[in-house]
Amino acid sequence: MMTSETKVLGKKDLMKVFWRSFTMEWTWNYERQANLGYGFAMVPILEKLYKDKPEEKAEALQRHLEFFNTTPHVSTLILGISSAMEEQNSTREDFDTSSINNVKVGLMGPLAGIGDSLLWGTLRIIATGIGTSLALQGNVLGPILFFLIFNIPHIILRYICMMGGYKLGAGFLTKMQQGGLMDKVTYGAAIVGLMSIGAMIATMVTVNIPLSYGSGDNAIVIGDILNGIIPGIIPLLFTGFIYWLVTKKKMRTTAALLLILVIGIVGSMTGILGV
Amino acid sequence: MLQAVLLGLVAMIGNATFLTGTSLLDRPIVMCTLTGLVMGDIKSGIIIGAMMELAFIGAFSVGGALPPEMISGGILGAALTLASGNSPEVALTIGIPIASLALVLKNACKIFILPYFVHRADQYAKEGNGKGVSRMHMLGGLLYFNLPLGLFVGTAYYLGNSVMSTVLNAIPAFVQNGLTIATGLMPALGFAILASMIVNKKNVVFLFLGFLLAVYLNIPVTGIALLGVVTALIIVGIQPTQMSTALAGGDEDDDF
Repeated sequence: MMTSETKVLGKKDLMKVFWRSFTMEWTWNYERQANLGYGFAMVPILEKLYKDKPEEKAEALQRHLEFFNTTPHVSTLILGISSAMEEQNSTREDFDTSSINNVKVGLMGPLAGIGDSLLWGTLRIIATGIGTSLALQGNVLGPILFFLIFNIPHIILRYICMMGGYKLGAGFLTKMQQGGLMDKVTYGAAIVGLMSIGAMIATMVTVNIPLSYGSGDNAIVIGDILNGIIPGIIPLLFTGFIYWLVTKKKMRTTAALLLILVIGIVGSMTGILGV
Repeated sequence: MLQAVLLGLVAMIGNATFLTGTSLLDRPIVMCTLTGLVMGDIKSGIIIGAMMELAFIGAFSVGGALPPEMISGGILGAALTLASGNSPEVALTIGIPIASLALVLKNACKIFILPYFVHRADQYAKEGNGKGVSRMHMLGGLLYFNLPLGLFVGTAYYLGNSVMSTVLNAIPAFVQNGLTIATGLMPALGFAILASMIVNKKNVVFLFLGFLLAVYLNIPVTGIALLGVVTALIIVGIQPTQMSTALAGGDEDDDF
């Protein structure tokens, strides 16, 4: 257990996961989000590792159909780590399988926080800026550059994440677990993820309450008062409400989504909420 | 008729962004260019695409929320404008309501069709059938929305401008407004789900820290993520080595 790690997976196997990862959001669903895309990417590796162990293969397949969501372009980092951990699991008796999904869950939030701002917030904005300025003049280079500026770095990053994730998983993960380092990394990752989520709630959830009492110049807008107490308090409270619904009340995400639609339409009908 | 079929195909190519690494094939700047190609006026298509791209710049998927369905909005907005010889601005007026209408269609497909494939995949996984899981993924994506979207765009173009605008006008304004309001609220669901995976009594304070830094100091999300890295390094650094597992996130203690 101490030293020898059996290498079963080669670069060819990892490349299969890499190519399959491009379909991560093809079946994005409200119940478990990119779960099927994740499972699809892991299939070739699981088929190879558990070739003669049908029961363990079934378990592993189910394990990778659990909830998954992160920025799709960097999902290969977690896929690489999962590949390394599954490889260890298939060759070692004492491997704790629950740690495979724990690492997934611990990493996807923080990775999304960093990935979304890097890919969506930065790279996409650069591509859009250059692409549209040319396209507004009817230049065909506009859409072409838009596509290349986003996708060349994206594919390089996707590849680095795949190979890096596998190396990280195979080399360091066991050491980290032994020294309590794993808990530290998970805790640290939780800090980064939660701070990003807090910031995103403040900037990306928009609620407008134009409802007012009094009339003319004396009219007091409810939304302004609430924002005067703490800016963005309404998005925060609303997110807390949804959190309460999906965790404590076990509301399904689809139901929560329909509820939000109803809130929007009723709010618009009564004039309590505005655009 | 041929144009309607080709536009349907363009829509399917756009939706295949999710098959090609979320490569932004679905963005208006790409979709309108291809539409211009089909309609025989690629230059106007590119210009419409650039205008639509800027209008939809905030529309991208983050967390658990879906943006307006830009593929149909972009293609139909551009195609109907080019066919009727209108100016590029008209494409936006047509495109935006189509995009919110098509989002309803997309959500319906996600709620009523897609779960069938996801649950079949679970069944195959239980049987240890990796090929079955793969098949459900490929087939599910194609059948739940890729094909319906192609049909929707092709049919909508074929039925033409007048029918389309009648349909669009039939939606009351308060419903359209309501959809816009709901679009602003939906990210809350995504963040609630993300938070529920990592939050517990001891670390929830960091969510508020990020929130307060954003609202009072106006630090952008990237900056707060980087501050988060520094905070994490400081805190993990001064903690003694025996970090209790309760601190490490997870689901055993997630009430706050």
